Amino acid sequence: MRFNKKKKPGNHKINHGLVNNYRGFLWILPSLLGVLIFYLLPYGDVVRRSFLGAVDNQFTGIKNYQTIFENTAFLLAVKNTLRFTFFCIPVLILAALLCAVILYRSKFGGVIKSAFLMPMALPAVSVALMWRLLFHSQGVMNQWLSCLGIAGKDWMNTEHAFWILVVSYIWKNLGYDIVLWMAGLAGISENIYEAARVDGADERQCFFYITLPNLKPSLYTITVLSFLNSFKVFREAYLVAGDYPHESIYMMQHLFNNWFRSFSFDKMAAAAVIESIVLLGMILLLQKAWDSGDGY
Amino acid sequence: MKKKWKSLWKCRIGLFLSAALLIGSFSGCGGKDGSSASGSGGAGGDDKGQAMGRFLEEEVELPIALGNIYDMKRMGNGTIRVMCSNGDNGNKEVWDSKDGGKTWEKAYDLPAEIQDTDDGYVDYAKLSSDGQAVCGYNKIADGGITPILYLVDQTGSGKFLPFELPAYEGDTRNSSFDTEGAYDYNTMSTEGKSVNAGEDQSENPEEDQPEENPDKAQPEENPDEAQPEGEKEAKTGNLIVDLQFLGNDQVILQDMNSTIYQISTADGSVKQKYECSETTGGIRQVYVAGKNLVLISYTDIRVYDTETGEQKSTEETLQENVLDHENISAIDTLNEGESIYYLTRGGLYHYKFGGSIMEQMIDGGMNSLGAPAFYPMALAMIDEENLLVAANDANSDSPTGIVILKYTYSPDTPAKPDKEIKVYSLYNNRELGQSISRFQKEHTDIYVNYQVAISEENGLTVSDALKTLTTEIMAGKGPDLLLLDGMPVETYIEKGILKNLSSVIEKEDDYFGSILKAYQDKEGQLYAVPARFFIPMIHAKEAYYSQGEDFNTFTERKDVFVNMDPESVVEKFWYSCGAAWKKEDGTLDESKITEFLTRLKNAYGEYDNSKDQEEDGIYVASDIGGFDEIKRTSLDYGNFELAYGRLNTNIGLYGGMDYGMLKAVSEKLGDAVLDQMPGQAENVFVPAMIVGISSKSAQPEAAEELAKYLFSSEAQKVSQSGGFPVEKEAFRSVIDGHQYEGKESMRMVEIGGTSLEEPLSYDMVPTPEEEIQKLTDLAELLTTPALRDDVIKEAVIEQGEKVLKGEISPEEGTKALMQKVNIYLAE
Amino acid sequence: MKKKRKPPLPLGMKLLWGMLALLAALALYPVIFLIAGSFMGNDELRNYLGAVISGSQGYADFPLLPKYPTFQYYVEVLLDSPEFFVMFWNSIKITFGVLAGQAVVGTMAAWGFAKYEFPGKKGLFLIYMILMLLPFQVLMLSDYLVLDQLRLTDRLLGIILPGVFSTFPVFIMYRFFTEIPDSLLESAKLDGAREWQLFFYLGLPIGSSGIIAAMVLGFLEYWSLIEQPLTFLKEKSLFPLSIFLPDITSVDQSGMAFAASVITFLPALLVFLGGQDYLEQGIMAGAVKE
Repeated sequence: MRFNKKKKPGNHKINHGLVNNYRGFLWILPSLLGVLIFYLLPYGDVVRRSFLGAVDNQFTGIKNYQTIFENTAFLLAVKNTLRFTFFCIPVLILAALLCAVILYRSKFGGVIKSAFLMPMALPAVSVALMWRLLFHSQGVMNQWLSCLGIAGKDWMNTEHAFWILVVSYIWKNLGYDIVLWMAGLAGISENIYEAARVDGADERQCFFYITLPNLKPSLYTITVLSFLNSFKVFREAYLVAGDYPHESIYMMQHLFNNWFRSFSFDKMAAAAVIESIVLLGMILLLQKAWDSGDGY
Repeated sequence: MKKKWKSLWKCRIGLFLSAALLIGSFSGCGGKDGSSASGSGGAGGDDKGQAMGRFLEEEVELPIALGNIYDMKRMGNGTIRVMCSNGDNGNKEVWDSKDGGKTWEKAYDLPAEIQDTDDGYVDYAKLSSDGQAVCGYNKIADGGITPILYLVDQTGSGKFLPFELPAYEGDTRNSSFDTEGAYDYNTMSTEGKSVNAGEDQSENPEEDQPEENPDKAQPEENPDEAQPEGEKEAKTGNLIVDLQFLGNDQVILQDMNSTIYQISTADGSVKQKYECSETTGGIRQVYVAGKNLVLISYTDIRVYDTETGEQKSTEETLQENVLDHENISAIDTLNEGESIYYLTRGGLYHYKFGGSIMEQMIDGGMNSLGAPAFYPMALAMIDEENLLVAANDANSDSPTGIVILKYTYSPDTPAKPDKEIKVYSLYNNRELGQSISRFQKEHTDIYVNYQVAISEENGLTVSDALKTLTTEIMAGKGPDLLLLDGMPVETYIEKGILKNLSSVIEKEDDYFGSILKAYQDKEGQLYAVPARFFIPMIHAKEAYYSQGEDFNTFTERKDVFVNMDPESVVEKFWYSCGAAWKKEDGTLDESKITEFLTRLKNAYGEYDNSKDQEEDGIYVASDIGGFDEIKRTSLDYGNFELAYGRLNTNIGLYGGMDYGMLKAVSEKLGDAVLDQMPGQAENVFVPAMIVGISSKSAQPEAAEELAKYLFSSEAQKVSQSGGFPVEKEAFRSVIDGHQYEGKESMRMVEIGGTSLEEPLSYDMVPTPEEEIQKLTDLAELLTTPALRDDVIKEAVIEQGEKVLKGEISPEEGTKALMQKVNIYLAE
Repeated sequence: MKKKRKPPLPLGMKLLWGMLALLAALALYPVIFLIAGSFMGNDELRNYLGAVISGSQGYADFPLLPKYPTFQYYVEVLLDSPEFFVMFWNSIKITFGVLAGQAVVGTMAAWGFAKYEFPGKKGLFLIYMILMLLPFQVLMLSDYLVLDQLRLTDRLLGIILPGVFSTFPVFIMYRFFTEIPDSLLESAKLDGAREWQLFFYLGLPIGSSGIIAAMVLGFLEYWSLIEQPLTFLKEKSLFPLSIFLPDITSVDQSGMAFAASVITFLPALLVFLGGQDYLEQGIMAGAVKE
């Protein structure tokens, strides 16, 4: 049993009104020029540097790439970044979906949603300040624990640091993702549900057979945006724990920062190129998954 | 600014002609002295449309050594009059010069009734433009101080003025200041410190603590070194904290209540009163320009008309400029006060009230005016092209530090030298600042732009500062010469950031070889050279340390770290131990670190955390950034604590010998030992003021020239507690106490520690030959440079502190430390 | 949001809902914490936070209501620190400079991507997306060198221009413009509308909520910018508010930090809550496919 939103007539895949028109390029031109100067040109420079020595600019072939894959700091950073991304994003997206579904139906959803949204508006420096007060070895968190008779920890200097970062990320982005999901929910026409109920579907069936499939397209945007925001936790991590945090939260950006300071532009450029290739792969994968969703 | 300056000159062509005569006479004088003026002729020739005209500086020859200058004034008839104290006997005298500072004759001695005695002393004295003087005389009687005004006429006969200050309402104001204080006390405490650096280097560090009373923070008004700092504080009465002449028949004075009185000199009656207590942080300075009264607080500048007592509209431009430079140190005017000339750290400025003219006439960066240990006391404009500045300049050739400098406009010297080199350091280095200032006097063609990355106000982290430095170096806009203190020196060498310096050191034998070569690479080349060094030392009673004791034996003792906070213990021993940790392959030896932490913990014993709270204030204050990290661990900080038994051992970095002080402490203890600090590594020294030249420098020759100068005997002799010079002759000169020669019987200085009840009195005497020899031998012995890697150090201190506090075990500490350091080393 | 008929809540849902409310309260805790802290006086902060700030014994404690509320630190920040205003003003300049630019350049690009077909469009859009996702650190040095060549370092323009050409708003608005039915454009075209008229009279009004959504997100992003100003600006008088965090080594500083945080937070909050509805309508429009 499958219920799908009815598509408007004559609106199949790419069928734009202004097809085959180079003038489209003109619309993009101003932006493209800026992007060329401020993004692509520097990126080209990075690619060039990835084949050169750090300061002397001697051509070194793929030596830089070989070096970084033998570099334990790089491997650690990659591991941590992947671990963080692959743990946080699914958790965040699912948690947000759950909340969205619950809140979507409730009267006070709006208020609660706004509460969830607020953390996102907090400036990173303020969040860092809070984190320092909360998770210091003599901080507020340990005060609560000591009330419960549990010995405190130096949170930022143990494995817990990773979880603090996870919580921090989810805390900041949950509201945003809830909003995104709710918008997705709002886009599902009520008619489909009614038709389903007429056919005898219950709540659970409605959810699994109507809501979820229809939310699939939203998943793409939400994933990309969540992914984008996942890079931003670095700010807090950096502001709270500095250049060399506990090894569990040592991310790519830490490494980039530190390499930068020690003039290791060779390694940095090579790692940047690798990172962008990985990003490209991920986006293509996501797009493929999304496009296959179009099949319905 | 330059343009304005130029056009201004054009419209003053008439003045120019008359001034040309004057210049002629002075440039002749400059040439004879071989001072900066002589170098300028050639520079003017090869310029192409370059802005011309600059003030050149020369030192005025004084007839006597001055102990202090109270005021200097150009009188109506053009004579320069100086009120001073004689450096040899403390006698208060007034001298005149009719020819702009060339020759001087004594006008009169101050009357005997206000010469310094046990009954009182002159705290302030000011001159009027018709040659009168007014003195703020502090009379000591009945266990208190009574301030009295004393008026001296043109010829030197004087009388007391009938004027009495109301009682001091101190406490209420003080506490309200306290809440606002945090903003200001950085600047205040540094100022307080720098004054003292002028005369006696031995100044105890307690001076650096925030002072409650804002009025005390005015360095240039601090009259006489022989007066113990604490005396004012000890009494409760009201005092005069600033004094100025207004016209020829009134004086302006400020009291401790921040009330400003305008008093007639005829009868002592109060003509106007200005209440300023609501100003944030109080009034720091009071100046008079013509009929205008200028009050400078921490946040604003107010101008009052003294005839009406009305406040004039705010002078925004002036306020902005002055607050940028923290302070005005002297003001003078050439007219009725419509426009003023004033001195700040930035140089000499000319400002016309109303804001139509605001120009920098002299760039302090190019001469002594901007030097770190230069404190102007008075400014006397002779005319628009000639002026005198009286100042306390700790690094001048004058034995007392008191100098008068003359600035003369030279129209055929380029306004700005054609070569500019940028000098960069993370922390402010006073020796460097001083050396640059001297270097510039001799090299008028080179402009040295000294940038300090981390200051008290900007709160920048080292990491951020280094990031910015990296981008600038890569963009080719980086500094030419760097002080590498706090930077990853080895990494920079390895990456090829630094230029080979081997040619800069001319005669290696003149230097302590192993210190010079602390950063020598495998081929024996020098890319980074320490100009100074510290020695980790211990000073203790024999009961707690015996000569030559090793780290293991020492840390078996349980009572050696009494009253020390964990952080500083770890930090100090990091210097004496860290050097032993590095293994052949560049990684750190884990077992050594475990041993380090275990032993320190063993000696430290249980951590008593009740202590923290009491000393809260002190630690907060000393934590404020901007200090070179090394200075915090100076041995000097423990002298009083050791002498009065609060510390059993005094450990720290030793970088400037104050023989008298150490002797006094040792004598107080009875059987004291002064020795190298025990540690896992032996014969350790801490390289400091590490000089490097950027390999991307656009002006490598000029940078090398400066580097050469920094290693010259002259520059090495500059000493402001930033470490011992690496050059042997300068090393001797810095430690031998030659400045006390011939004054043995005269100087007996007491300095208060944390408490005034604990004086340490000692003779200021030249260091005995055997002591000089001992220290020199020790310096020759030093072979192992301490690790100065900030990342490792930070990790060590962070974990070490927790271990000593008992929060984690030494093993856990080592693990956490290794984990961070390993990532760092793997990068 | 559209009105919808909703079935009554089962008990389980109510329970869940209550839990969510609790979670929301927890999410708000730090915000309240900051606000409370900003109203505390010197002594109170010392009392509560002494353990963290100056290392005295025991733990930091923090009630959510100040005992003796005071505006002391607000006064200090707003009245007694002129540099705070300079920073505030810099933040305004950066944020609105970037947003204005994005509103022009970004909208046009998004329109071009959404409504036109040309060779290489897909590839170009892919590049845009990758650039959007690249962390700042990757391009840091090369960015600096480019800006330096253009003489843009140490100027606010050096922060604003790269922001204007950020590809993020293009991504957001693109999804929105694709939503406008082509048939609508076709018919307008048949009626003689020119292409720019299509953009101005159809694209912009219909896409307005998408544009606003992008602007709101842009505001948050540039209001709390950290890395760029730290790297490209050296002159302290150009620093934006987002990097103003007084060092909290002393109690006094932490009071300032609290107050400054709240003041920085407020505009962002207002914009965010005000633009919340647009966020919903705007962002998902493109994702919920036709």
